[in-house]
Amino acid sequence: MPDAEVLDIPDMDPDAWADYVEQQGWTDGLPLVPPTEAAVARMVEGARGDNEPVPPITPRLMTPTIRSLAANAVMAGCRPEYFPVVLAALRGVLVADYNLHGTLATTHSCAPMVMINGPLRKTLNVNCGSNCFGQGWRANAAIGRALQLILNNVGGAKPAVMDRLTFGSPAKYTFCFGENEEESPFAPYHVRQGFAADESVATVISSEPNHNLNDHGSTSGIDLLTTFAGGIASPAANNISAKGPFFIVFGPEHAATLARDNWTVEAIQQFLFDKARVPLSEVSAENRYRYETGGNFPENGAFKVAPTPEDIHVAVAGGPGKHSAWIPSFGGTAAISVRIKPPAAA
Amino acid sequence: MRIVNPTFGIEPASEGTATAAPVDWLNDPMILFSNNKPNAKELLEGVRQRLSAIRRIDNIDYIAKPSASQPAPAETLNDVVRKYRIALLALGD
Repeated sequence: MPDAEVLDIPDMDPDAWADYVEQQGWTDGLPLVPPTEAAVARMVEGARGDNEPVPPITPRLMTPTIRSLAANAVMAGCRPEYFPVVLAALRGVLVADYNLHGTLATTHSCAPMVMINGPLRKTLNVNCGSNCFGQGWRANAAIGRALQLILNNVGGAKPAVMDRLTFGSPAKYTFCFGENEEESPFAPYHVRQGFAADESVATVISSEPNHNLNDHGSTSGIDLLTTFAGGIASPAANNISAKGPFFIVFGPEHAATLARDNWTVEAIQQFLFDKARVPLSEVSAENRYRYETGGNFPENGAFKVAPTPEDIHVAVAGGPGKHSAWIPSFGGTAAISVRIKPPAAA
Repeated sequence: MRIVNPTFGIEPASEGTATAAPVDWLNDPMILFSNNKPNAKELLEGVRQRLSAIRRIDNIDYIAKPSASQPAPAETLNDVVRKYRIALLALGD
């Protein structure tokens, strides 16, 4: 692995460059934009005034420079104005409670989910609506990809070497979306976490990709929540054994039905906490022993899927359609929200 | 062309070289440290049983970190360092 901050390499055409980055182990498998000094300088300018040091990144525990982080953002296809979001998301995964090392060393299929709130969603054209977890939007694709490349390249979390997931996950390429605040009947997620509505915030959690919650039939809030409680009560999810937080992301149509029936976020959390339980009949004796040894005991003949109602994080995203999403987590992780620092004026 | 190295970082500061007295493998206190994965305890208990053929085992203890998915608390590690000269770790699944 080269140890200089700037590398002088031969000029090469796109095919040769693609081969070069593959040989270096820098790529996620897709072509990368060359991080020329000029391109990196433009990226760094996107975070002008952000002088807060970034801590060492596990597992290599190297302290990055702003230029090495920017190089990964360039390679991922970021515009300079995306870079503050990448930095906020990175600072989030480096908070101890996120448990970055554990989420990389595990064999579970987890990846960093990034949810963006606040006015920057619109400025950067982050997709919050139809297909928000999918392809087609540069900001969603590049911000999540940049974070993953930083973990791979600066952090040294090489897949199948230091990143030990049994299957990996498509979310390892990118998993970034914005909350659909405009179509949400609830206060935006970041406001409920104590931020001002006019602040922009990146929230990260180590999670699986979205699992679809389909309910085209129910027409009341309580019937929708009953469906969702059944959908998230899985004996094979990490949340039952590790007792951690998870997200439920309502599609706007489902959210509107819930709000029409006067369901608040707090009432939704409590309902799902009470009703999303895994009965003992669905848990093997060996697993029951394991969970109880870890301090997770059944209540009234069933296991909980979250430690507290507040560990069920509620957001609204997506477009038209009778679908919502369950985003199970690694378990031993936390949802971390970090304010995105706007670049200082020139 | 000149590019910025995307792997560049500053090495962690060295904490120096620790010098420890030689370990007495047959007599020094030993900890069997479980990562709390299923069957780790059974595996380590089997190791302890086998060790009884070659060394004393009355000073071999067992400990597990509280969660398989999270690091051991610093106080646990400090306690282990203070009490034992040898640690056998159960890693992986």
